[in-house]
Parts: sequence; structure tokens; C-alpha cells
Amino acid sequence: MRRLPTTPVAVVGLGNVLMGDDAFGPTVIALLRAGWEFPAAVELVDGGTPGLHILAAVHGRKALVIVDTVAGPGAPGDVHCYRRDDLRALPILSRTSPHDPAVLEALALGDLTGEGPDDVLVVGVVPASLAMETTLSGPVRAACPAAAALVVAELAWLGVPARRRREPTEPEAWWLAPAEERP
Amino acid sequence: MATRLTIDPVTRIEGHLRVDVVVDGGQVTDSRVSCTMWRGIETILRGRDPREAWVFAQRFCGVCTTVHAMASVRAVEDALEMPIPPNAQYIRNLILIAHALHDHIVHFYQLSALDWIDVTTIPKADPAKATALGESLSEWRGNSRPEMRKVQDKVKALLTSGQLGIFQNGYWGHPAMHLEPEANLLLLAHYLQALDFQREVNKVVAILGAKTPHIQNLAVGGVMNAINLDNDATINMDRLWAVKGHFDAVVDFIHQVYLPDACALAGLYPDWFRYGAGVRNYLAVPDLPADGASTTYDLPGGTIFDGDLNTVHPINSPRDAWWRDGVTEDLTHAWYEGGVQQPWKGETIPAYTEFQDDGKYSWVKAPRFQGRPMQVGPVANVLVGYAQAHPLTRKWTDLALARVSAAAGRPVTVDDLQSTMGRYLARAIRSAMLIELASRHWELLANGIGHGDVATYVPPTFPKGTVEGVGFHEAPRGTLSHWVVVENGILRNYQAVVPTTWNASPRDSYGVAGPYEASLLGNPVADTDKPLEVLRTVHSFDPCMACACHVLDTTGRTVATVKVL
Repeated sequence: MRRLPTTPVAVVGLGNVLMGDDAFGPTVIALLRAGWEFPAAVELVDGGTPGLHILAAVHGRKALVIVDTVAGPGAPGDVHCYRRDDLRALPILSRTSPHDPAVLEALALGDLTGEGPDDVLVVGVVPASLAMETTLSGPVRAACPAAAALVVAELAWLGVPARRRREPTEPEAWWLAPAEERP
Repeated sequence: MATRLTIDPVTRIEGHLRVDVVVDGGQVTDSRVSCTMWRGIETILRGRDPREAWVFAQRFCGVCTTVHAMASVRAVEDALEMPIPPNAQYIRNLILIAHALHDHIVHFYQLSALDWIDVTTIPKADPAKATALGESLSEWRGNSRPEMRKVQDKVKALLTSGQLGIFQNGYWGHPAMHLEPEANLLLLAHYLQALDFQREVNKVVAILGAKTPHIQNLAVGGVMNAINLDNDATINMDRLWAVKGHFDAVVDFIHQVYLPDACALAGLYPDWFRYGAGVRNYLAVPDLPADGASTTYDLPGGTIFDGDLNTVHPINSPRDAWWRDGVTEDLTHAWYEGGVQQPWKGETIPAYTEFQDDGKYSWVKAPRFQGRPMQVGPVANVLVGYAQAHPLTRKWTDLALARVSAAAGRPVTVDDLQSTMGRYLARAIRSAMLIELASRHWELLANGIGHGDVATYVPPTFPKGTVEGVGFHEAPRGTLSHWVVVENGILRNYQAVVPTTWNASPRDSYGVAGPYEASLLGNPVADTDKPLEVLRTVHSFDPCMACACHVLDTTGRTVATVKVL
């Protein structure tokens, strides 16, 4: 049977592009794709809001970088980094809907099966607004380049460095395209 | 004395499912189900090009991406009354089947199994007896004694480490959990094995959809997959065989593990056929079109009222008047302006109040069919097929019921599927049906290509004036429909009536409760501090609710509050 190769390092941007600052993760992925070239060992994923279906992006990797919004301390636009042990200290609670965010569950399952990543970095931003709109707030927009730089630094540390494109392309953030003739 | 229990994962970010139940004398006597976030994402589509709507619709929900994309292109194609090439239909069907199998496997094992199996008993299990139990269920290769011992050692290591990891949120030692340690061990071994198989079948979505979780290959008018047997970059025999390989790899898991486990669990918890029926009206739409014009479907649709299979009325196409004229949404108890609306004329104008027991209390609208609440999901799918004597549905349902009856030591009939346990069982029955249909649709695709048919797309033409369309899909959680109004090639209105709004619907203008609410009445609750039984029934529907946003909560939170009335 032919199997798809699993790349050892994943950079996963999480969040809903239709929900304001929740688009932070996918936006940073778009910025990274536009500004850097990545070695074959690195896969960039626009992960959306996958619930436990995030397993596909987490298991079988050696290292994982997640870019996401966080309900953490500080002001909108503040960027926080978390490592595997920081996340292990957080409680996993019973869920009413199976669709609650499941990063912690996916990592804990990986601990049990031995298929989880050795190195984990979460780059999180504190959101200002999660209302239904296809724009980022000022503080969160301003935090995107810094978050991208943190991802690039992590990849270099992991030994799979990204190379800055000589001629950067436009970030492909299709959801920002204006609608024709909006009512 | 009555106790009001609010199961509400309190976070700084809203957008989840809130369940309020009143418990009196050990059972639920009243219930209200609320979604705490506005889900009017449809308004973002007004004014856009109908050909790009599916790209946005795919983001309605992060778990159900594929199904919204599919309903969206089908809705526009219905408005244009356009057939698509048969190959496009089969490629879509294979993606839908793979997505559903992936979803059902994850639901049963990763999202539900720990409501029924107590992992803290596993260290006491005798691995040899667990193997014997497994061998009594099927010939599965993963039931060996070394495998059981390996899993037991992993669990022991975790439990003695003091860090429970993935098991930290279970209601261990709860009186409603009563399986033998060996059954718990066997099911947990399968829980871990399921991780490999959900991943395996999801690869089909990645190959045909070009990407996962958000597929890239759809278009109004077909799919964008090029077929060229001599080209490495397109669909060729290598890719087709890879698709078949991934399906074949999960056949044994479904036949020898998932379905037998679901039957065994049902047989060991037969009481759960008595709870959770709730609304006994069922709705399913036909799916897996067998030709380009969708004149026939491999899975039947229809309605059933009052739990009586003799009332079955078929739904044969999205143009079927029974379906098209039957659907309305009632906004009386939802935080929107307006009364009862037909989806094409539907508005989504927020009108938020506080949570009012007798007023508005949810962001979910109340869909109704001919004015009545309907339960959707795999159990509706199976009942509607069974009632119409659909051979594939009958075959797998009868087989499953015979196994459950043997395990329970009493006859369990198709009517028993109208219950909490029935929803778990129906999902497994449906999986067995779907993996069989995967072979059929793969062969249809391969045969067509073998005969030189490589068409996958026809460009749509938009007429002047206004056209209306509805696209439906029998998704893993049940009937999904997107309703579009296109005026001079631009979207004038867009409404998505999704499975979870059917099931999680609040009361309507007559005060009639929706399926979740009704299903909780009479549900036992042994311990109001540990509402495990309520979660079993809620989880049986597989609610699609908290998927609007993804915010990693680094602050910790509480899940439930209890108030004595």
C-alpha cells in the first residue's frame, strides 16, 4: 500500500478566519508562506477549528508549532509562548460538545501512544474581538510579524531552518477579499 | 427536592453548548439547551459570488468543513438545475464517505468511549480473559494477549505516575459504569487502535480533496481534479489504488472492531435503550448520488413521525416538494428577530436578551418540518432506510440487532434504536454500510475512467433574474441543507440549516421542545456532582457546537454549576 509521507515538523495555524481575531493562526501561516521558503521536512497547515480532528496534524510528528489565540493574561495583541510542560499543567475538562478545542487532548493522547511530538511550541496571541468579521483588530494585526518571527526562530532551533524569500509574495488571505456589491 | 444543574464550560470566550437540567428524584424532569454564540455566519455570504460561497461555507465549522463545502456547491447547482459529470459525483462521494467514516470512528472511541469504560479498573484486568472476550467478538488481529498486556502496562504507568493525562476528566468509579475490567481493557485497546484507522481513512480526503482539513478540489459544476492516467500530478491509477488501499485498510477495523464493539457495549448497557428517545420524528435526506444528474441515490431519505416506521414518507431529491415545502425555522425562543421563516426568506438579525427560561434562550434557531421538531442523525438515517426496506440498511441493521440481542440476553428490535444507545449503534451500522458503498463508488469511478471518461467539470451559467436552490447532504450528524437565492449571478440570501440546529433546537412557538431537550427528560442522574448520564445522552448526538472559534484556554475553568431549587 502506498502511504502519504508524514513530514516530521508541522506548523499549524488554528482559528476561524470568519471570526475576527480568531484568524490570527491562519493569517500567520499566510505570512510565513509569503515571506519564507521551507524545507521538505516542514509542513504548514491552516488547521481551522478542528476539535479533536487536530490529531491528524499532531500525531506522527517529531516537533509541533501551533499558532493560536489564547485566553491568557495581558492585553490584546500580547504574544505568549508555551512549551509542552506548560500545557501539561493545564486541566483537560469534560466536554459537552466533542468540538471544543482539543490541542491538550491530542497532546495527551500522543503521550499515551508515544506518537506525540517531542518538541512543542505554542505561539499564542490575546485577542481583542472574536466577532463575526473577516478583519483582525489593530493590536492582533500588529502582533502577526512577531509571531511569524518566533516560528522562524523555532524552526532554526529545530534544525529545519526556513529561508527568507528573495522576492516575497502577497500573503494569500483569501477571506479578506471584498464581496462584490454587498447589501 | 429538585436540583438545577447547569453544564456550561465557562470560558472567557463564548460559543459552546450549555445544558440546563432540573433533577428530581434521581432523574431529569426539565431541560433547556442553549448555544451561547451567535452563528449567523450566513450573512457574510450575501453579495458574494455563488461560485466562491463553498470556500467560506467550509469555514462555518472546523470539524464539518467538507460537508458544508459540499452542501454549498450542491445548493448552487440545484438553483441552476445543472447536472455534473458522473466522475465528479463519484469523487465527491468518496470524499464524503471517507469523511463520515473518520468522523464516526473518532466519535465512538475518542469522544464517547470514556463515558462508558472505567479506565481505573484496567490494572485489575486479566489480559488473557480480555483476549478471550475479544476472540468471542471477532477474529480481529489486535486482540492478542501481548497487545492487551501492552495496553494494560501503558494505563498502569499513567495511573501510577499521578498525572492522568488524557484520563484526567473522567467520572471514574461512577455507579453508572459497570463493565468488567477485561471489557474496559479490550475497549481501551481498541480506543488506541482507532487512532491509526481514523488517520488512515482521512488520507482519502487528503488525496482527492488536495488538502485536509479544508478541501480544495470542489467547484460549482463538479470537481477540479484532473484525470490523466499518464500524468503524475493528476488522478491516475496510482492515486486511485492509493484511495482503494486506504479504504481497504479500514474494512476489517469496521467489521471486526467498531461494529462488534458498538453491539457489545449496547448489550452490556441495555438500559440505555430505555433512555434518551426524545423527539420521535425523524428526518434524513438521500445521499451518495449514483449518477451525474442525481436522479438516484444509494442512501434513501425520508421522514418518520411519532416513532412509527409505517408513517415513512420518502424524500427522493432536493426538488421533492415534501422536502422543499416542509422546512421552516421558528425564532420564537432564539435570539433573533422574527417568527416562523422559510429558509430562502430567512433572516438572521440578532435580538439578544438574557437567558430566559420562558423567553429567548439560545442562538440556535428551531427548525421544524411541517411544523414539527425532527431528530436527525445516523439513527434517522438508519430508521428511514429500514422502514423503506432498503436492502443495505436492512442487512447491517439486522446483523447488528442480532448481535446486541445475543449479548443482552433479550430481543433488541429496530424500535429500540430510538434511544441514547440507539444513536451509538446506528452510527456503527451506518459505518458498515458506508464502507461497502466506498467499494461501489470507487468501482464506478475506475470503470468510467477505464472507458475513457475523464470529464470532471462543466462551467456554470448564471441566468438573469432570481433563482433559488437547496443543497443537502446526509452528514455524519444528520441532515444538512444550504438554501441559496441567486440574483443576477450574486448571492442575495444564504441560510444553512445544520444538523445541530435540528437536534439542539430550542422550544418553538407552541412550546414544543427540540430533540436534545426532549431526550434528557427521564434520563437518570445518580450524582448531580457527576452528571455522567446527562453527558452520555448529549454526546450520543455528537453536538457540533463549540467549533466556531479556536481559543486555547490557558486559565483553567469549571464545567458545571449546581443549584438547589
